[in-house]
Amino acid sequence: MIVVVGLSHRTAPINVRELIALPRDVVPAVLSEIVAHPDVGEAMLVSTCNRVEVVAAGKHGFDGADLGRVAVQVSQALVQRAPGLEGNLYQRLGGEGVRHLFRVASSLDSLVLGEPQILGQVKGAFETARQAGTVGSALNRAVPRAIRTAKRVRSETAIGMGQVSVPSVSVDLAKQIFGDLKGRTVMLIGSGEMAETVARLLGGGGARILIVGRNKLRVAELTRSVGGEGRQWEDVKATLVEADVVITSTSAPTYVVDHDLVKSVRKQRRGRSLFFIDLAVPRDVDPRVESLANTFLYNIDDFSKVVAGTLSSRQHEAERAERIVLEETQGYQRWREVAQMTPTIVALREHFQRILAAELERSLKGRLKHLGPEEHQALNKMCEAALNKMLHHPTARLRETAAEYGVESRPVEQLVAAIDELFVLEGEHPELHALPDATASAEPAEPDPEVELSGTHAAIGTRGR
Amino acid sequence: MHDLATIAFYLGVIAYSASATLFFLDLVRREGAGAAARWAPYLLGVGAAMHAGHVVTASLLSHVCPVESVHFALSLSAWIVTILYLLVRRRLRLHAVGAFVASVALTFLVGAQFVGITRAGPGGQRGLLAAHVTSNVIGMALFLLAGMAGAFYLVQERQLKAKRVSWFTAKLPPLDALDRTEHRLLLAGFPLLTFGIVTGAVFAAHMQQASAGEILRAALAYTTWFVVAGVLILRAVAGWRGRRAAYGTIAGVVCVLIVILLYVIHPAVGAGA
Repeated sequence: MIVVVGLSHRTAPINVRELIALPRDVVPAVLSEIVAHPDVGEAMLVSTCNRVEVVAAGKHGFDGADLGRVAVQVSQALVQRAPGLEGNLYQRLGGEGVRHLFRVASSLDSLVLGEPQILGQVKGAFETARQAGTVGSALNRAVPRAIRTAKRVRSETAIGMGQVSVPSVSVDLAKQIFGDLKGRTVMLIGSGEMAETVARLLGGGGARILIVGRNKLRVAELTRSVGGEGRQWEDVKATLVEADVVITSTSAPTYVVDHDLVKSVRKQRRGRSLFFIDLAVPRDVDPRVESLANTFLYNIDDFSKVVAGTLSSRQHEAERAERIVLEETQGYQRWREVAQMTPTIVALREHFQRILAAELERSLKGRLKHLGPEEHQALNKMCEAALNKMLHHPTARLRETAAEYGVESRPVEQLVAAIDELFVLEGEHPELHALPDATASAEPAEPDPEVELSGTHAAIGTRGR
Repeated sequence: MHDLATIAFYLGVIAYSASATLFFLDLVRREGAGAAARWAPYLLGVGAAMHAGHVVTASLLSHVCPVESVHFALSLSAWIVTILYLLVRRRLRLHAVGAFVASVALTFLVGAQFVGITRAGPGGQRGLLAAHVTSNVIGMALFLLAGMAGAFYLVQERQLKAKRVSWFTAKLPPLDALDRTEHRLLLAGFPLLTFGIVTGAVFAAHMQQASAGEILRAALAYTTWFVVAGVLILRAVAGWRGRRAAYGTIAGVVCVLIVILLYVIHPAVGAGA
């Protein structure tokens, strides 16, 4: 099982989070420090501007260590690196840790619900940990499952749909009107942080930026910071003919772009779509412009409504996403329970294999001495197939019971005891009676009984001959 | 051979139905059709392959060339719509239009079964008839797809003008892509429609007496030609794009659909052979 130790925007203010802000190149060293602790066997570090979390596991994979001790040692490692974190770190152990990891990867714990970056950051963190050699059986199972959960959440809910900031909504709308922004012309009138961000984003998409203003110095300054080409105010009409998107953000008390101006350039524009992004208060673009064909006008209120609508819709979707996370967490835990039955299954199989191999060997030296290599091979194959068929039902039953009641439940104990007693396995396989530790050496595949049955062992005949 | 045609027909119906359902669910559900949506275009492709198989085997069985029969002409026009769509879907970001395309293909494949497989047109002019039907079939397919793009344009434009920006608008293709697609398809279909009208006039000259249905069909064909010509000329001369062009295209397509409907409800008309 895993533990998660860390801090996030929910538990620590920015001045605390700053203490442990880790550059990417330092992460492998931090991971090595963490796994150097006596009980910590595996570690992965997710570091974003809103969270720093260590996902760790004990020395022996799933259950090899006391999770509490692992969590304490990870906390110590973090505090050692950034004194001042004491009291700000949270710990999620076992099933809680798994659920937390799944929620983080699915962006349910993010500052902006449903933001897509976190999944990439979790993937990146996992890759870094793998390269640093701090990933073992526990993380190798939990993290890919977290990534799978996140993908399910994104594909089965609409949590990532829509945009949650004015600049991103503006760009989305521009793409909804024009499709590809490459080769489009954006006209920027006025300045302002938001307007400049929108212009930069559109420019980043391949659009050409034309900056128009009354103040030549300001235009020159904007041209440098945003990129693009500066134009004089006298050129506003000519620029409007070229433009596909017009961003306005001036402090003018009256409309800067009025109805008549837009109407007058319609003929020269030859019906091309025109998208006005009016970010000014008071407004820069005459609202009557909207009535013109192929002209779209959005002001700051319109954008705010779109953003509010998206946030509320994401909140609604989060409930469905939580259900998926819960389902996946339970699925993961069920699988773990089943995986812990592996030593019993292995022991049972080896017991039968030994008997079959011994009998086969005796026969091949005795009455079946005359058989050639091909017949030997056929006999081996037949024995292996018979063994698979004989063990199929008991194996499936053991797994089902473990999945249904848990590995430490009475029904499972009874089944294991019955197998021991009926087949006298106890003396042959002492590891059977220390189930949790034994799982580390018999790393199971994801539930696939057939694969495990045929893949765990070498052919019977290799021992028999 | 008969069994082969029937199997291809039913497989085509199943594939088109599944594709239409997936495209439709992907369009109208907030979370889409999930991973299954990926299969919608593939199923459409399978449907088109089965459709083609059905047309080929059925025409061999009936000894009627596909371009000499109204039955096959209807079926083929929908098949061409499907193939065209599959070719331009990715490049023009027209995924959502698939819901219409798959439904139209299904309707035409099934609908054509109600039209008898008889060779149309006066005997002795089979070459001209084949050219007439081929140009009309391809032209009709191009106009149908243009009409779908126009319909999507109007929906998307209305949503954006009304500021109803939601998950639904995000699923519709960009306005300019729809407008461009519509224009290109009209441009490609117009010469074919013109050729179809000219060859149709040649056939009309050979007929001694035209029925009311034939006169109506000819009138609608001329109307379509004028509407489409108007849309193209006004776009070139006066910059009529977007909503106006979409309305014009849809008007032209409505005329085409009425012509098709006339063939379906009165299949015997025009069967000179």
